[in-house]
Amino acid sequence: MVIIMTMEKTILICEDSIEGVFSGIYEAYARKYVHSQTSLQIGATENYELFAEYKQIAAEEEKAKKVSRTIIREFGEETYLTFCEALATQDLEKGNAIYHVLVDGLRTKNNRIMENFAVADVNKVFELCRYTKNEIQHLKGFLRFQELEKGVLFARIGPRNNILTFLAPHFADRLPNENFIIYDDTRNLCVVHPCQKEWFLMSADNLQEEETRNYSQVEVAYQELFTFFCQKIGIRERKNIALQTQMLPLHFQKYMSEFNDKVYK
Amino acid sequence: MDIKITQGMTIKEKLGILSDAAKYDVACTSSGVDRKGDGKGIGNATAGGICHSFAADGRCISLLKILFTNECIYDCKYCLNRKSNDVPRASFTPDEVCELTMEFYRRNYIEGLFLSSGILYSPNYTMELIYQTIYQLRTRHNFQGYIHVKAIPGADATLIQKTGMLADRMSVNLELPTAEGLRTLAPNKHRKNILAPMRQIQTGITESRHDLMIYQHAPKFVPAGQSTQMIIGATPESDYQIMAVAENLYQKFDLKRVFYSAFVHVNEDKDLPALPGGPPLLREHRLYQADWLLRFYGFKAEELLNEEKPNFNILLDPKCDWALRHLEYFPMEINRIDYQMMLRIPGIGVKSAQRIVKARRMAKLDFSDLKRIGVVLKRALYFITCNGRMMYQTRIEEDYITRNLLNIKEKLPFQTNGMTYKQLSLFDDKNFDAEPTIIDSQQAAMGQL
Repeated sequence: MVIIMTMEKTILICEDSIEGVFSGIYEAYARKYVHSQTSLQIGATENYELFAEYKQIAAEEEKAKKVSRTIIREFGEETYLTFCEALATQDLEKGNAIYHVLVDGLRTKNNRIMENFAVADVNKVFELCRYTKNEIQHLKGFLRFQELEKGVLFARIGPRNNILTFLAPHFADRLPNENFIIYDDTRNLCVVHPCQKEWFLMSADNLQEEETRNYSQVEVAYQELFTFFCQKIGIRERKNIALQTQMLPLHFQKYMSEFNDKVYK
Repeated sequence: MDIKITQGMTIKEKLGILSDAAKYDVACTSSGVDRKGDGKGIGNATAGGICHSFAADGRCISLLKILFTNECIYDCKYCLNRKSNDVPRASFTPDEVCELTMEFYRRNYIEGLFLSSGILYSPNYTMELIYQTIYQLRTRHNFQGYIHVKAIPGADATLIQKTGMLADRMSVNLELPTAEGLRTLAPNKHRKNILAPMRQIQTGITESRHDLMIYQHAPKFVPAGQSTQMIIGATPESDYQIMAVAENLYQKFDLKRVFYSAFVHVNEDKDLPALPGGPPLLREHRLYQADWLLRFYGFKAEELLNEEKPNFNILLDPKCDWALRHLEYFPMEINRIDYQMMLRIPGIGVKSAQRIVKARRMAKLDFSDLKRIGVVLKRALYFITCNGRMMYQTRIEEDYITRNLLNIKEKLPFQTNGMTYKQLSLFDDKNFDAEPTIIDSQQAAMGQL
């Protein structure tokens, strides 16, 4: 048994979610794998490695909770949040990087593990987390609500990372008296916030496409007013479209009413 | 209310005129205050500020930036809204400003309101209108988003005090760097009148901080601090004079920000420079770079410039320029040098310096670590050693390093050589192009475009 473990790599296949990755980490400890020979992989592979043993790990809430508790106890809330943000990205190496940062931190009993930038995995996790954070910051500004017929505010976004749950608290705090929906176009998920109640996340299967286009009477007028404002506020002598696109990349512009031909005529 | 000629104008027309008139104001940030919503009204604020869109000039649109009115009793030569200009005039009513702010805010178009104004009748009358507007926003609409208002020089101290209790940030425009410049270009404004409200706001902020130590829930006076702006390139001051003024404002008036605004030629006047090359954008850029060095990097104005060398280097940024004139400090050993000195190395910013300080507690750093941390090695490599070694064999010689630094193309926020590459498209950009002016259409008709 010992010989096999030192010879062979073990690859744990997890589900692409916080629960999935944390369950994988739990199993790596529970089954006493040699950490340097073990890696976490998200989703099934097409190319199998030789001399590697593949193990499918199911996501289990209980196990994931235990791992979260350990992370918060040993490294603090901030590091936990960093891991969650890193896990919101699409990167397939994210689970493995977090696993090895965690192993390193627990082994060296270093509760400031995320400050050790000389370690490649720490850098990887840090970069992923920054990628998510930047997108959250961008969308706090670039997200556009449109008022639908019954006064509901509806926003459509197409983020690269799964950030709906990070955005929702910000808007719930900002607009407590509004009924609003933020819809993630790429993942078919949405956050719903009823007036003066807690927000919740749900699948958007029941969302009717045409209902989201039923604007209230004044909606188009305000979109026009804002587009007009954006045109007026730019200084002609300083025109610089390259800078505009650098600050506000086109994949955001696609969802913004002031850049949208269909709305602004 | 008896506002002169704006009856019958639609809100769109007014918005057009009054945002057009406000666009030269640069102090449009929404940063400096962290405030959660109270759960009943609408709005919150985050200290970092949030950009909601970007205009065709690449500047951030964060606040609904408008003038309350562009009527003005003053005749400042650089200003589009001066009394002697024949431009369309309009005034909002407080209700209209509230409606626009609330509806834009709900749709997440803006982070709050930036309200400035021309002087209608008198400074007091104008300040009172501004106060009325934000009073309604804060009380009737229960708005907790960001509000930035101008303090009008010459207005009553009590009015400014009352306004400051409602606003997040206040600013008084310095207009021009020196009193002399102000005399020639803004004959109705006096340096003394501008500095008085600035001092009042500063004292108000300090007092409010003391109150907060005693009573935790005391209302805050201008919690996001005050800022100011000055026009660059309309008067003949040197960069050194401008930096000295800015440094003074930071030290003596506790300003949060000083903004520099490249002079845009909007009026024909014999006292104004012609500026055939457009607004002095590079100069503005260098001033902002130096401003950052003052606020975050521990530099002093006289270290960057002096009487003999009163202007910034066109080719090199101020930090590289300083480093090249002080090669005796270099190379610095990354694993030992203290934080304050590390900030002076070209290619290392505040964030990477903080990361280096944290990371070197746990391990000795080498060049590949620095690269991962975010240090710009192509600039830094001439000035640093890691574990006693330089990255390549380089000479610590002013000419040699200058030559190499000039080979790295500096990333400027605007095009300098006019060469831009982009994919051909059948459709025009939809990037808020300004509407063609009358002159444009005339030139088009005459085939001169």
